[in-house]
Amino acid sequence: MANMPNIAVEVTDLAKSYGSVVALKSVSFRIDSGRYFVLLGPSGCGKTTLLRLIGGFIRPTRGRILLHGRDVTDLPPNKRPTSMVFQSFALFPHMTVTKNVGYGLRLRKLPTSEVLARVDDMLDMVGLEGLGDRLPHELSGGQQQRVQLARSLVLETDILLLDEPLAALDAKLHKSMCIELKRIQEKVGITFVHVTHNQEEAMTVADDLAIIDNGELVETGRTIDLYENPLRRFTADFIGENNIFDGRVSRIDGVEATIDLGYDTVTANSRGQAVRVGDDASISVRSERLRIYDRDGKVEDSFHYLPATHMETVYLGLTTSEIVTLPDGKEVVVRRLSDGVENAGFSRGAVIRIGWRKADGRLHTS
Amino acid sequence: MRDDYSSKLGYGLKWAYLLSIVGALLAPVFHIVYISFNEHGFSARIYEFTTDWYRVVLGDIMLVASLKWTFYLALSAVLTAVPMGLLAAKLYKRTQHKVAFVTLMLAPLFVPADIMASSLLVFFRNANGVFELLGEALGWEWLTHWFELGFLTALIGQILYTLPYAFVIILITMSRYHPQQTEAARGCGATGWQAFCQVEFPQIRAGVFSACAFVVILSFNEATRTALLKGGFDTFANVLVSQMLNVGMSGESYAMAGIMSIVAITVIGGFLIYTLIQSGRLERVARAKADPLMSS
Repeated sequence: MANMPNIAVEVTDLAKSYGSVVALKSVSFRIDSGRYFVLLGPSGCGKTTLLRLIGGFIRPTRGRILLHGRDVTDLPPNKRPTSMVFQSFALFPHMTVTKNVGYGLRLRKLPTSEVLARVDDMLDMVGLEGLGDRLPHELSGGQQQRVQLARSLVLETDILLLDEPLAALDAKLHKSMCIELKRIQEKVGITFVHVTHNQEEAMTVADDLAIIDNGELVETGRTIDLYENPLRRFTADFIGENNIFDGRVSRIDGVEATIDLGYDTVTANSRGQAVRVGDDASISVRSERLRIYDRDGKVEDSFHYLPATHMETVYLGLTTSEIVTLPDGKEVVVRRLSDGVENAGFSRGAVIRIGWRKADGRLHTS
Repeated sequence: MRDDYSSKLGYGLKWAYLLSIVGALLAPVFHIVYISFNEHGFSARIYEFTTDWYRVVLGDIMLVASLKWTFYLALSAVLTAVPMGLLAAKLYKRTQHKVAFVTLMLAPLFVPADIMASSLLVFFRNANGVFELLGEALGWEWLTHWFELGFLTALIGQILYTLPYAFVIILITMSRYHPQQTEAARGCGATGWQAFCQVEFPQIRAGVFSACAFVVILSFNEATRTALLKGGFDTFANVLVSQMLNVGMSGESYAMAGIMSIVAITVIGGFLIYTLIQSGRLERVARAKADPLMSS
């Protein structure tokens, strides 16, 4: 059966254009019920458009949207089993916190006593007990976002849409709200669909991730899978701190492809991708998996080594980054835990080698 | 550091300047109202207070009828121009062609009143001719009088005149409204109409009510367009102007001018006072509640 009951959101061939401007190309994916799903991508990539399409705030140019198996493509927002948390400006400034949170319940014509009880419960849940009589402008940014969250959660819809909900908060508050969101999602157990351009935020809250770029769905999967084993070059470039080595396939030996970088060759597992000799390909290696070596140090068979020149050491507190350049002029970052040593013992301009375990290099053909 | 209020002289001068400007603008109006209560009228050496002129005005069947027509016209203009201005302001927020939109909306303001009035007169007369021909050809008698000068044509002229003002006034208050609030309301289960009534309107109502007040005042003051387009009835301003032109200013004329001034000042002043009281009340409520908040 196409629509399994545990699929909360299913979009098929979804596209949105504004005249000649294509905001979203053909996108298809599914979100399992009860998961924290994050749409991650750079600004202007179409992720908010996708969220607003799911919420019914804009109509698609093409494609279908199914929520819990029901086709809602042509339904307005108030007829969908969704509620939405906006980036900012979305609290009703003329209503108190209690009235804001209870707005949707009053629309459902529930008895006042029930509305108040449920609003109180929800304010307790988001840590705003005792602030029900305040107006939105009397609250801090974090408190305002909590009110928005409470206003959406109190409706007990199956799916909560969050459009960059933490973008307007300062760094400290941002971090604590991330954890708070995750805690609340686990508590209420409904499906959260969260849009952000912040990969740290995404990694903190997400069970599953979808990477969007230029109106296209690049890759979806479990957070750990996309971080550890990204299939697409864009994903590797966007998530985590990866170094990407571009070249051309020069040889294929079973599942192992050899990539000619122009100044050296390296090999990587094709990971099931269709690879042909002569194709453009890339290898990505996370910065924490790279090591720096002396020019004339020992060589291990399980490692790849490339010649490089040491440029700079950047102390970042927990970690320290070494910036090196490759023979083609490309900069590479090697990251290590700061261990009290100011630099790795290399001066600027020193000729060195960088290396990584062969298993840590990920081949990308697209 | 000294602020604006640390110099009593500077503070006093600012208020003196403000009051002198307002006084200079309103002095002629108050002077007319003052004269309207003098039993001996304008330029008399003696001043004896009386309300007789007002009694005469309000006892004059023709004048009361003109007052009634003016009221109907103002009410009809409010009921049409203000919703149209509101819709236009909402469309303006959505359109990508904002400059073209606002230019078209404000264009009637740049056409002199007599040109606009005579153009409409010619247009309505020609339109009426077309409708008459059409009515005769189709055998529909009701069409033959469709566009004769009357209340409808005067109202159209009035709408053209007041709509740009209503649009601008509403747009100013609407500029502070963020459409995400409507989306948030829809997301909570509100229909489009519920979102407008419960979320958007309470935040723009000051602009809508101000537009209503302004349209009423413009309707009471307007003479040129209604003089040409009104057909078989008179408005208050028309009677006043024609009386001034035909017999000069009389005690009755001053009383009529006084009525119009009092209506205008009462409406505007009422709104100003209401707004000040409201903002003061909200500020007090906010201050009372605003004990230091922890950012959490």
